[in-house]
Amino acid sequence: MNNELIYVYCLSNSSPELSLYTEFNGLKCIESGGFFITYKNVSEDEFSEENLKRNITNIAWVEINAREHINVISKIMQNNTVIPFKFGTIYKSEEGLAKFIEDYTLSLNKNIININGKEEWTVKIYCNHDELKNQIEELSKDVSDLEIQIRNSSPGRAYLLERKKSDLIEIEIDKFCKSYGASYYELFLKLSESTRINNLLPKNLTGRNDDMILNAAFLVSKDKVGEFVNTSNILWKEQKITGFNVVLTGPWPPFSFIEIEEK
Amino acid sequence: MIQEENIIDRNKDVTIVEILDRVLNKGVVISGDIVISVADIDLVYLGIRLLLSSVETMEQLRLKKIKDRNAGNET
Repeated sequence: MNNELIYVYCLSNSSPELSLYTEFNGLKCIESGGFFITYKNVSEDEFSEENLKRNITNIAWVEINAREHINVISKIMQNNTVIPFKFGTIYKSEEGLAKFIEDYTLSLNKNIININGKEEWTVKIYCNHDELKNQIEELSKDVSDLEIQIRNSSPGRAYLLERKKSDLIEIEIDKFCKSYGASYYELFLKLSESTRINNLLPKNLTGRNDDMILNAAFLVSKDKVGEFVNTSNILWKEQKITGFNVVLTGPWPPFSFIEIEEK
Repeated sequence: MIQEENIIDRNKDVTIVEILDRVLNKGVVISGDIVISVADIDLVYLGIRLLLSSVETMEQLRLKKIKDRNAGNET
């Protein structure tokens, strides 16, 4: 089996100590244009365009390789400023890789400056719809007012108002989710250098029973990470409405904050 | 990878979905002689297309549903 292709994990502005990461096989580093590129040689049998297409239909293969991709980058990130590459970025030759570095040096340098001394953290907020629904009459004046109207109405009118109430409850839950998510978002925004709103993941992908209402990445100065994490803990303890869950994860490689201007 | 002391939700492993959401769509995504296209993954990974739903789209759909239901009630 010939290992002819170059699978790129990440690029850093200092040389990574690859000898520390013995858990990964075949990691190599080359210097090009002042950057250090961590890669491994992979075989055409597994990573040629055609074979890669076939392999990504195999979820087990994707999982092993995607986890390794992020694990390698996370290790290197501990001691270096890294620009992560998308999973499955392959070069056919060192020359091709060097050409990329040459063409994009300006953009890569901008990114290194932008992420230097910072970490990516993710805040996800989930809402348990039923739990919030149970409290909505106390939380929403509109809902409680409507409930009073229903009690004082004839059965016919009460029936119609009940239907109106169930729609109002959904609107009010939506409003509470939005304002809850926004208040956290605003707070973390103040403690971070930059932010990205990521896609909400549906329940069948999160495997949770509650709905994701916020999925945001924050680029946080390393000296503010403690405050960032503490703030989340304090808010969590002080919250009065139940049914929300805040999950903070990090530090991640700064995937969400890399912007390479395509030529 | 994620340092344990930094995870607030200590009991939950990082899911493959969370990893894929990052490594397939972000980072240096435009160069390379071979790059996995997200479109390919969409076909493969059950439900991953839903990742493309944005906060706004989901909210709009939900509100539209309520609006449609109200319109139905009025007629």
